[in-house]
This record gives sequence, structure tokens and C-alpha cells, in this order.
Amino acid sequence: MNGDGVDIGDRPLTQDLKALPDQDHYEVLEIGRNADSEEIERAYALTRAAYSSEGLAVYSVYDEQDTSAIRDRVEEAFRVLSNADTRRAYDEKVAEPEGPISAGVQTPPSPLTNPREETLLEAGLLDVESIGNPESDIEEESGDFDGAKLRRARLRRGFELEQIADITKIGAAHLRRIEDEEFADLPANVYVRGFVTAYATTIGLEPERVVAGYMARVEAARAQPRSRFRYRS
Amino acid sequence: MAIDVNRGAQSPVGPSAFSKPGAREARILSMGGGKGGVGKTFMTANLALALARMGLRVVAVDADLEGANLHTCLGVRTPRNSLADFVAQREDDLVKLLVPTHHPNLQIIAGTHANLAEAQPGHLRRVSLMRALRKLPADIVLLDLGAGSHAAVLDYFLVADDGLLVVQPEPTSVENAYTFLRAAFYRRLRLAMVGHDVRSLVSQAMDQRNERGIRTPFDLLREIELIDPLEGRRFAETMRRFRPRIIINEVRTAEDVKLGFAISSVCRKYFGIEVDYLGYVNFDEAARQSVAARTPIIESREGSDAAIYLQRIAKKLAGASNGGEPVMDTVDAST
Repeated sequence: MNGDGVDIGDRPLTQDLKALPDQDHYEVLEIGRNADSEEIERAYALTRAAYSSEGLAVYSVYDEQDTSAIRDRVEEAFRVLSNADTRRAYDEKVAEPEGPISAGVQTPPSPLTNPREETLLEAGLLDVESIGNPESDIEEESGDFDGAKLRRARLRRGFELEQIADITKIGAAHLRRIEDEEFADLPANVYVRGFVTAYATTIGLEPERVVAGYMARVEAARAQPRSRFRYRS
Repeated sequence: MAIDVNRGAQSPVGPSAFSKPGAREARILSMGGGKGGVGKTFMTANLALALARMGLRVVAVDADLEGANLHTCLGVRTPRNSLADFVAQREDDLVKLLVPTHHPNLQIIAGTHANLAEAQPGHLRRVSLMRALRKLPADIVLLDLGAGSHAAVLDYFLVADDGLLVVQPEPTSVENAYTFLRAAFYRRLRLAMVGHDVRSLVSQAMDQRNERGIRTPFDLLREIELIDPLEGRRFAETMRRFRPRIIINEVRTAEDVKLGFAISSVCRKYFGIEVDYLGYVNFDEAARQSVAARTPIIESREGSDAAIYLQRIAKKLAGASNGGEPVMDTVDAST
């Protein structure tokens, strides 16, 4: 029944969306058939969070029975796809010759053209687990840290200033001044040192790599009298 | 102005003279969101400026005649003329309503001075407005919609090349966003159906407590296929083409960032529609101050997180349309 005179247009459209009962494990997790194990884990974490019973996105659409059914499907999909053997068996089972309906379906996008992955990457959330695990290895620029570089490191790790403020109990305004290098509005050096140490630790940077370079900037700026006075309009 | 509503188009989902704009037609983006106060105007002002700074000719239009203040967010004094003049048919030439801002490439059409008794243009006037907007000397026309889900707002949303939805990570905002999406989606579906029986079936399904137990668009699709497979096909095609995009505003935590994925997943699984997560903007006290200061935050706090995120969204918007199809040319005048 494909292609009976309906113009699909020249822009690529996604495949037909299916109701949950008709979805296979890949569709339940919203991933392509070539998804690697990392992608599967990320998708699982996101989907599980989305359909948790407190999920902000679900409560006004689904009742608890619905979300619980979806969670079961998500768990089942992850159980099967996260294990290489069960996944292979599943793939073989569903790999019957494609019917005419799916004949026009494009091959699944590669990980980096997947919009969800792209947004995660930009948000610094590509490694979802790294939010709770600041130790994870994120490639860092070399050289001393200034405010802008701290900000970039923070954004790459998906932290908002308010989150760091919550964790460190340092006011977000101070944290922002650290990034903006508004040294005149920051307290004495000893405090700034403490702030920067806490900031770095929170986002998963080793303080030793950050503090000395940053403090050198603070001290240099403060050694010049004119920078003591900063007029705020 | 001549009104040429393409009644009973043979294939409402197929291309038509207006859904394939010529090279010089402006691309229309609509900023909706259902709920008031979620940041539609803030978003419109900043994205308009960001797009203009990228060298695109931008016109920001305040279609919220009942609460117009886009001009204020862009630092323009209350203009003498506004969209209200077009709606009330005092002025047929939109170009005469353009007001410059102090930013290169960025003009606005304000929404002030509306006689609120006539604030909602009639259907035919909306059709001619949409045509006129496409003909504006601009690359992008960004429409700031009012709150709520009434017909005019839905049509402005549906007719756009990209319908954008601003959502805050709050239960009320999320709920209203779904209400809005659902209303827009069913309106779109009903307009796409040709047969009377199928149309009335869609109308019945718009009432969530309908007697036939149709809960989701998937249920509705099954019922329609029973009546007329061709309409079913058209219906499924319309579902595929309805591709709004969401922006999460005032994000404070990583959980808030992920809300966009969750909403887009629910839209797939429940409504059967693809909702593109366009991006998010973090919560920033300076954003509220920027409104008070009548300066977009990407100008007043260049380099702030919020400004960075807004520019990222603008870049994505400038990149490509999401493949959705404008709809007004398929609207029939009886609705």
C-alpha cells in the first residue's frame, strides 16, 4: 500500500510511527537498529526516567497503569538488547523479509546524525551517567584555566551554575563572577581560592589543575589598582 | 485583497502552490506554547535578534493582539500602526506596518492598539494575513502567538513552516503544552480529511470522553481505516508531517534538560507524532531583567549561558526547516 499517489515530499521523513503494542524493542527505546551498547544504555536511562511515576512529561497524558505498562516494555527491551546473545537472537527472529510498508524506510541514522544524540552532546549530557559521576574522562583543553575556560568545562559537563551553587552552597552570583572574572566584586583571595576549588571539584575537574592558574589571574588583576574599582551601571 | 481559498483540495497532504514557496517567500516560524508567561515573547525577541545577527532579514510579528508587548522586549516605543490595522481591514499592505528596530536586519510588526472586541481576525482574514506574511521582504517571519488554544492561535501555529512550542519545566506548562499540541494536531487532522464521515469522526475524537472509546490518534487511525483506507493513508501521512518543535525554557537542572526528550518520547508513543527537541534555555534572573530593560538578553548579556543557548537554537532554526508542511492553503472556509 506504499506509494499510492501520496507525495512524501523531498525532505526525509521518519518511518511510520506505531502504537506502543506494535513497537519492537528498538522502537520502544527510540533507537536505530545499529545502536551500539552505549547508545542503548543512554536511551534506556532517558526513557526510564521519562516514564518514571513522577515523570513531569507523562502524568497529564498517561495514568499510572499506562506508564507502568510502558516501563515494563522499556525494561524488557533493555534486557533483550543490552545482552549481545539475546539481542542477536531477537534480531534474527524479527529479520523476516521486509514487507512493502517498511520498504521505503531509510537505514537508521548513524549515532551522530541522531538528533537526540546531538542535543545530548551539546548539553554535555551525552554520557548520561557522567552527571552523577564527575570522574568521567572528558577531553579538556590544555593550558591555564580562566573564567571562560571554566565555563566551557562546566557547560560541556552539563552543569548549570545553580546546580553548583546548590551543591557547594556558594552563591550563584559569586560563581558567575568567577566565570566572568569580575574580580572586583569577589571577596578576598582566600575565599576565591576556596570557591574555585569547590567549583572545580563539583564539575569533576582536579582542583590542582585549575586553582593555581586561576588564582594567578586574580592576583595579577588585583595587583593593578585600576581594577579595584569597577563601576556597575 | 482577493481571497482564494483552495476548497476541497484533491490531496490536502500533497504539495500545492503555497506549500512550496517560491525562492523569495519568507519562511514562517510560529512561537506558541498554550500557557501564558512561559517566555514566548522573550524567546521570539531573542531568536529574532539572533537570526538577524546571522545576516538573515527577520520580521518579528506580534500576533498576540490581546497582550501585545513584543515591541517592548525589542526596545521599540509603542508604534502608531500595528497588526490590528490589518486585522480590522484598515490597512491591507503589511509592508506599511513594518517598524524598524535599532538592530540591522530586524523589523517588527507590533500588535498594539487592538480593539479587543475584534482582536481575533476572522478565518478569511487569517488566510490573507498568512499569504501577506509570506510575501514580506524577509527571509524569516517569526510570529509571537498569544496564550491559549483557540482557533486563530492554532491556525497561526499550523500554517507556519515550523511550529515552535515553549515549555517550562512545570507541571502546568507541560500540561498546557499537551493540550495545545492535541488541539492543533486534531485540527490539522480534521482539515486533512476530505470525507464528511471521517471528518465528523475526527471531531468526535477531539472530545477525549467520546463514546467510541477513541483515546489516541492511533485508535482514531484504526477507525478511519475501517471507513475508508485512502483517508486512513492520508491520516497517517498527516501524522507524519505534523512535526512541531519544542524549546524548554528556564531550565535549572539536568533533569529539566531531559524533559525535552521525555515530552518528545510521549508525543511519539501517545500521539504518534514526531516532536523535535530544538533546545533549551537555562533559568537566568537576567532574563527577567532583560525584559524590564527592554533589551534582548543576547544583547544585554552577551556571553551569558542563556545567550549562548539562545544562539544555539537560532543556529538550528536557520539550518533547516523540520520537514513539516504548512497547512492554510488546505483550510476550507467553513471552519
